[in-house]
Formats: sequence, structure tokens, C-alpha cells
Amino acid sequence: MFNEEEVILETKHVTKRFLEEDGRELVACNDVNLKFYKGKTLGLVGESGCGKTSFMKMLVWMTRPTEGEIIFKGKDISKIKGKELHDMRQHIQMVFQDPATSFNPKMKIKDIVCEPLLNYGKIKKSDVEKEAKRLLEMVELPEDFADRFPHSMSGGQRQRVAIARALALEPEIIIMDEATSALDVSVQKTIIELITKLQREKGITIGFICHDLGFIQSFSHQVAVMYLGNIVEVLPGEDIATKSVHPYSKALLGSIFDTNMDFSKKIESIEGDPPSPLDVPEGCPFRDRCPDCGDDCGCVKPELKEIEPGHLVACHCACNNEH
Amino acid sequence: MALLEMKNVDISYEGQVIVKDFSLTIEEGEICSIVGESGSGKTTVIRSIMGLLSGQGQVTAGDIFYDGQNLLRFDRAHWKALRGHDISMIFQDSGAMMNQTKRVGKAFVEYIRTHENISKQEAWDKGKEMLERMRLPDPERVMRSYPFQLSGGMRQRVGIAMGMTYKPKLLLADEPTSALDVTTQAQIVRQMMELRDEYGTSIIIVTHNLGVAAYMGDKIVVMKDGIVEEMGDRDAILHKSENPYTRMLLDAVPSIGGERFV
Repeated sequence: MFNEEEVILETKHVTKRFLEEDGRELVACNDVNLKFYKGKTLGLVGESGCGKTSFMKMLVWMTRPTEGEIIFKGKDISKIKGKELHDMRQHIQMVFQDPATSFNPKMKIKDIVCEPLLNYGKIKKSDVEKEAKRLLEMVELPEDFADRFPHSMSGGQRQRVAIARALALEPEIIIMDEATSALDVSVQKTIIELITKLQREKGITIGFICHDLGFIQSFSHQVAVMYLGNIVEVLPGEDIATKSVHPYSKALLGSIFDTNMDFSKKIESIEGDPPSPLDVPEGCPFRDRCPDCGDDCGCVKPELKEIEPGHLVACHCACNNEH
Repeated sequence: MALLEMKNVDISYEGQVIVKDFSLTIEEGEICSIVGESGSGKTTVIRSIMGLLSGQGQVTAGDIFYDGQNLLRFDRAHWKALRGHDISMIFQDSGAMMNQTKRVGKAFVEYIRTHENISKQEAWDKGKEMLERMRLPDPERVMRSYPFQLSGGMRQRVGIAMGMTYKPKLLLADEPTSALDVTTQAQIVRQMMELRDEYGTSIIIVTHNLGVAAYMGDKIVVMKDGIVEEMGDRDAILHKSENPYTRMLLDAVPSIGGERFV
């Protein structure tokens, strides 16, 4: 379903390690290989501390990978700096989780949305009013918001401004880090409708971080499930409910509360908390909480294997069952 | 007689009415979910039951009866006996509500000894037993930890363990799972349901997660801008509601196998 020629960004063996004060190593991302396709959304799901934000931050140069390559249109962009980096930044933009803290509170909305354009010399100062109106219209906000300050807007409106700012430079990729998690469900829905509409119009590639599997499957073309810095399953968004095989993905699915669920059924989930990323268990990272943990799982770390086109799994049991 | 009865309650902050004409009756062993968007006044409502309105907040009209007694006429001594004993509260982040410079065990012992005249050692054992019941791994270590040393899910379980020590008749839960991961959320929800099944505790849970509200609540209250938009049993709200606001909220809940935008 995905055309290999349409790969716009690819991460190869990307690993991020942080050195702790006591000399121990924290592996935030371990050998992550993912492909972003043009005009498609890649959803990255996992619990807090699993390394999903660290991974996305590497794509926008907020932190650099310890090992591995990030290939954007055939070129490794993980080590570029200076002028080259400045020019490259306009192709990959980001939207943050908390719209209240991602703006300068002393700037007006028009200056916020036009700042990237001014930085790259795309418009003149005298064009700010006109451009701001165009950008606000694109995210379905009234024109007169241009003269407001961020504090006099609601969370949903601010997130729309954040999207307008990210889109100002017409980037090819937008990274969204829990961009709707701070919003009410009704607002969340309108924001995601806006994002998917803009994606269709402009063919933007989106990398979306989220912890809500039910939500992310509603707009992602492919979904990657992350656990303790490792990608454990990658599959097409529409297949999540029916085809996911990794026990962790299943546990996440089982934890979803839905207004249409059978309320008499006990909610199924896994026990305990994920172990600290400072001491990831040997072998399969999920084995301590896995209901079907076998003999292999303790010593050999499962590799991510393709079990059908577009569906990859890193699990000894799941892979054996398939073949 | 109902366990809790709120009659036409108005709650105001600095003279401005925030919650208007709120009425609710809770029977023994009943779970009620209050849902609504941010700023709809749902937290204000349950804080008023506990007498814990922040700042200048006060109940300006109506009555709140607990077990036949009017809570609004309570003095300090009455409150001291009731809070944490008959009525308990779990906060969004129980860890942040604890004294950060006190180990969990010390806070727990202090709490138990305000309600019961027993030795420190007995109180310690009682606390540990409660943590064990909440299935916290290694309760001895948890008792010796500071709140900030525990994960969000563990702190929340400590909060619930404390709240459940005296098997309260009424548990007030203010967004108890909102700061947690989905798998931890499922565990906490399951444990709260078990409390009702084992001890017959009535629960009022405030949440913006409609899935959790629907799973737990026998009764659901939908609030908007300080006013009860709709109230009814679960089935009536989820499937038979004709209120446009309730319908809009329900339609916005993402669902597996539901609407897809791509």
C-alpha cells in the first residue's frame, strides 16, 4: 500500500543514549528504523518515557542521534550544521503539546505566525498583516485574531495558531508532539479534521506522537508502537484493531475505554509499570510484563520482522505463530 | 435515605456564581460520573462536598446532606472526624497533594493516628497492609520513599490506598486517571470498581474521559458552563440522549473501528 519511491524521510538504526550522572547509560531510542511516506501520517504510540518524544526531537534537530542516520530525500541530515541546517529547517516543522507555553506571550498572533516567514526573508515587514490573515484563514480562525495575544485565546484556538505557524513555510514534514492531548475531546476532533484537511490539500507528511491508540488510529496511515525505546510493531492504521499481534499492542488496545464497549466485561490490561529505561531487561524488553513470555524471550532480543507487507513485529511468539 | 443529597446548590467565587442550581442524589454503592469540558465546574462541585473550595469559593444557596446531616453547618471538629474517614478524596495527582518532604510512610502513619488511637508501629503495619491491597509491589520500600521517588501510577495507588483505609462510604475522585498512561489507567479504574464491589463504596468520579465515565458510572451527569446539561442513568445518556451537547461530546470520542479521517 505504500510506494517505496514516496519515502521522504527515513531513519536508519537511529539510537539515542543519554549519560546519567552516575555513569549509567539511558537508552531512549534503540535502533529505530522507520519510514515516512509523502502525504501520509505516521503515528507513534507508547507510554510515557518510552522514547517517542526523544525520537521526534531528533528529526527536528532539537537533539542529535548518538548513532544512526536520518535520510531526508536521499541525504543524511542528522549531522548538518550552520547555513545548511538553517536552510533545511524550513522543510521540517513542529507543533508542540502545550499551546499555552509554545508562544512568546508578549507577541501578537500576527507576529507569531509570520515570524518564520520573516526569518527566511520570504515576506517583507509590510506584508505581515496580509500574510497573517491568509494563514489564519487557512486554519479557520477569524481575521481579527491577528491583533490578539495568545493568552486571550482558548486552547483549541491557540493550537490552530501553532499549526498556522508550522505551516507558514510550507514544510514537507510536520512533527506533532501530542498536539491534541491538552484539549477537550470535542476540540480535539475539530483540530484533527483541520489537520487531515490541510494534509490532503498540501500533501504534507505528518509524524504524530500520541499515547491514545484509539485516537491515533482514526487518522494515521501507519502506526508504530514503541516500548522502552524499541519499536515493537509497525502496521497500517486501519488494521490496528484487527491485525495487531504484539502482546504490548494488544494490551494497549485492551486498555481503551470506549463509550460503545461492553460494560459488563472486565477491562483487560497488563499489570505493573514499565521498567526504568536505565535497566532494560535483557532479551525482549517487554518480557517482564508479557503474558506469553517464553524461553527464548529471556536471552534473545526479537528483531523487527515483516510478517506481511507493511506489517512488522518484534516478538518471538507472535512471529512463530504466524509461520 | 440517600447517602448524599445535593439540593439546588449554587457555588460562587468572589460573588460570581460559577455553578448554578446543582442537584444530585447518590445512593449507597452507586457510582456517578460527572463529565464536561474544562471550565464546566465539575471539580468545583465535588470540592464543595468536601468543604474544600479553593480561595473565596463558597456555597451560596442550597443544601448538601450527607447521611441526613447538613454538611454546610459543620464545624471543624465534625469535619475532622468525617474527612478521610467517611468521605475520602483522590486527586488528579495524589503525589503532588502529599508533603514532598515527608516519606509516604510517615504521612500515612500521621493520617491513621488522627483517626485512630493506636501506636506508630500498628499504624505503620496498617498502612503497609493497605498498600499491599492496592497491589503495590514492595510496600515496605514504598512506605520508605518520598512521593517524588514514585511513578505517577504508584503515587495514585498510594493516594487510593490512603483514601480507602477507613472504607469510606463515599469516595470523591477528581480526574484520578487523567495524568496516567492508558495501561495504568485501566488498572486504577479496575481497582476503584473493586472497592465498590467489596465495600459498597459510593463513588463520584469527575473526568473528561467519556470512556472511563461510561465504564464506571451507573449514572452520568453532563455539565456545561456550570449548569447541568443532562443527567440520567448510563444507558439513557449514552444511547437515548436527545440533548445536542451530550450528543456532540459523545460523537467526538475517538473509537476503535469508528470514524476515520483518512
